[in-house]
Amino acid sequence: MLNSIVVIIGKIVSSISSSLKLGHGSTWPGHIALSINKNFIKEIVKQNSSLKIILIAGTNGKTTTGKLIQTILEHSGKKVFQNEAGANLLNGIASSMLLHSNLLCKINYDYGIFEVDEAALPLALKEITPDYIILLNLFRDQLDRYGEVNTIVKNWQIALKKLSSKTTLVLNSDDPQIAHLSNVTPIFYFGLNDKKFEQAKHQHAVDSTYCPNCKSKLYYHTIYYSHLGDWECKNCGFKRPKDIFSTPLSTKLDGVYNQYNILAATLTTKIIGISQDSIKSALGSFVPAFGRQEAIAINGRIVKILLSKNPTSFNESLRAIKNLNAKNVLFVLNDRIPDGRDVSWIWDVDFEDYIDTFNIISVSGDRVYDMAVRIKYASKTQNSKLKSQNYNSKLKIYRNLNDAITNSVKSTPGDKTLYILPTYSAMLEVRKILIGKKIL
Amino acid sequence: MNYKLTIGWLYPELMSTYGDRGNIISLAKRCEWRNIEAEVRRLELGFKIEDLKKCDILFMGGAQDKQQSIVSHDFSTQKIKTLKRMIEDGIPGLYICGAYQFLGKYYKEADGTIIKGLGILDLYTESRGKNFKRLIGNIIIETRIKKLVGFENHGGRTYLGKNIKPLGTIVKGFGNNGDDKTEGAMYKNSFGSYLHGPILPKNPHFADLLIQLSLKKKYKQPFSLAKLEDTLEWKAHEAIANRLGIGL
Repeated sequence: MLNSIVVIIGKIVSSISSSLKLGHGSTWPGHIALSINKNFIKEIVKQNSSLKIILIAGTNGKTTTGKLIQTILEHSGKKVFQNEAGANLLNGIASSMLLHSNLLCKINYDYGIFEVDEAALPLALKEITPDYIILLNLFRDQLDRYGEVNTIVKNWQIALKKLSSKTTLVLNSDDPQIAHLSNVTPIFYFGLNDKKFEQAKHQHAVDSTYCPNCKSKLYYHTIYYSHLGDWECKNCGFKRPKDIFSTPLSTKLDGVYNQYNILAATLTTKIIGISQDSIKSALGSFVPAFGRQEAIAINGRIVKILLSKNPTSFNESLRAIKNLNAKNVLFVLNDRIPDGRDVSWIWDVDFEDYIDTFNIISVSGDRVYDMAVRIKYASKTQNSKLKSQNYNSKLKIYRNLNDAITNSVKSTPGDKTLYILPTYSAMLEVRKILIGKKIL
Repeated sequence: MNYKLTIGWLYPELMSTYGDRGNIISLAKRCEWRNIEAEVRRLELGFKIEDLKKCDILFMGGAQDKQQSIVSHDFSTQKIKTLKRMIEDGIPGLYICGAYQFLGKYYKEADGTIIKGLGILDLYTESRGKNFKRLIGNIIIETRIKKLVGFENHGGRTYLGKNIKPLGTIVKGFGNNGDDKTEGAMYKNSFGSYLHGPILPKNPHFADLLIQLSLKKKYKQPFSLAKLEDTLEWKAHEAIANRLGIGL
C-alpha cells in the first residue's frame, strides 16, 4: 500500500518536472521514493519476481551496451525498459522502476536493464539480485569522485561474493581486473580475437597492466586498447580465460570499444536464448544512444557526437575518428560534477598521436584554456625559432559554446562530417544547442 | 653553445595517475622552444642507478596504493642512497602527491600501521581513515615565485619537520593538512606538492624555475631564460584564480 502511494507521488513528480522542463526528471521521483521508503527497490523487485533484471557496470560503454541489449530483446518481441542514461545511481534505478510500474506496483515488462555507476554497484546488489550482471571494464575516471580503480575492484569483489547461483555473470576477459573477479555463480566471458583491432603500443593512460593476482608485470600477446587485450602473467600463470565469446556482429557503431559493447550484448542475449539470426537482424537496425556516435544533420552537414569522458574513452574516440578520416573536430571540456572537477586527465590522453591529421581543431567548454594549452603542447615544434612556439594555427579557441558550434559547422565542407568530442555535461549542452531542446 | 637537459621521469608507468605526464611535457616543450635539447629518460621498474645519476631534473608523480607498493619494492637501499645524494647535492626535482609523501619519513595509516618512506625529506604523512574527508578541490597558493594554481585530491595529511620549508601558503584550498595553511615543501632545489592540474602547464613560471635551476646546476653559471609567449598558459592559470575568486 505504501509503495502504491510512493508510485503515485513519483509519477506526479515526474510529470510535473517534465511538463515544466525542470530537469532531473530521471532521478527526482526515485529520490523521493527512497526517502519515503528506503526499501522501495527491494520490495518492488520482490513483488515482480517474473521480471528479469540485467545490471550493467563498467567505466565506459554502459549506455551503449544497454541500448544494444534492449534493441535485441525488443526485436524478438520482449517488453523491455531501461533506466535513463546517466541516471545510474539508486535514485535513477528507483525512478525507472516506479515510472514503469502501474499503481499496484506491478511492472508489466519482461526485462529491466539497469546501467549502474561503478561506485553504486555494491549498493545496488544489496537491493537487487539480478539475473545477469555484465561487467565491461574499469578505467581511471573522475578520481575525485570514484577514487582509484583498485578500490572499486575490491568493493565489487566483496559484493559479488554474496550472490547466489541465480545470477549469471558476463565478464570482459580482456580486462585483467574484471577477469580476476570470481564468485560461485556461472560466468561467461567475452573478449576480442581479431588482429585487425590490434594496437602496436600501450597508450599512456593504462591502469591495470600488473597481475591482479601477484602484482607482476603482465605480458600482452595482443593489446586492443588501454589495458584490454590478450594478457598473461609469466610469474604466477594467471592469464586471459580460454573459453571466450569473440565474434562481434556488425552494426553502425565505429571504434574498437564498441566491439566490446557488441560482444557483451550479443553474448548476454545468446545466454538468454535469442537466436543468432534474430540478434543479427536486430543489430542491423540499431540506432546509437544520444551522444554516443549519434549523428545529427544540420545545414546539410553531419555532426557526430562522441562522448569522451576520460582518458580511455577520449583516446578511443580519437582513434575512431582518425579511422573515419576526420578533418574538423571540436573538443569541449567541462569540469562540473558529472564530468569530474579535476581536468588533469586530459594530459593522459594521447593527443600527440592524432592531432596532425586534423585540419581544424576547435576547443570550447568551461575549461577551454586548459584544453587549448593541452593542444598547444601536443603540437609538434615546427622549428626552434621562438615565434613558432605559438600554438598550432589549426587551433581555434571559443569561450562560448554556441559560437564554437556555429563556426565549426560553418567551416565544415558540405560533404564532410564535424566530429564533436565533449565531456558528459558538455555533451548535453552540445545536443541542446544542436537539437534545440534539453534532455535531462 | 648547445645546452642539453636530461629529464628523469621516475616510474612513468606506475607513478602516474592524475595527468602528471603534463609536467614532463611542459618541461620538455619549454626547453625545446628555447633551443635547449631535452631528453626524457624513463626510469621504469628495475631502472639502473647509472641512468638516474645522468639526470639533470627529476620528476615523480602520484600513484594508486597498489602501484606505490610495487615501487617501494623496487627502491633498493642503493637507489635511495643515490636519490638522497642527488637531492642533497641540489639536483632540481618535482615530486607530486604520492611521490611527495613517499620522500618523507613515513605514512601512517588510520589503524596505526606505519609504511616507511624513503626518509629523504623531513616530513611525515598521516591518514585519518574513512571518517575524514579527502581534501579535494581547486587550490591556489602563494609562493616566493608568485601564485601557483592546481587541483588537490589527497586523503593523507602531511606535516613538515623543522628542517624543511613549505612550498607556499594557502590562499584557497587545503594544502598539506588542511590545518596549518602550508602547502608542499622545498628542500634545496627539490619541491614536493599536492598540486595536480597538472601543476607545470598552468604555472609556466614554476616550470621555468626548474629549468633555470637545472641549467645553473649543470653548467655552473647563472642563466636567464628566453621569454616565451605564454598567453594561453596564463589564461588557464587565471581561470582557476577567477573560479576561486582570487585576483592575480
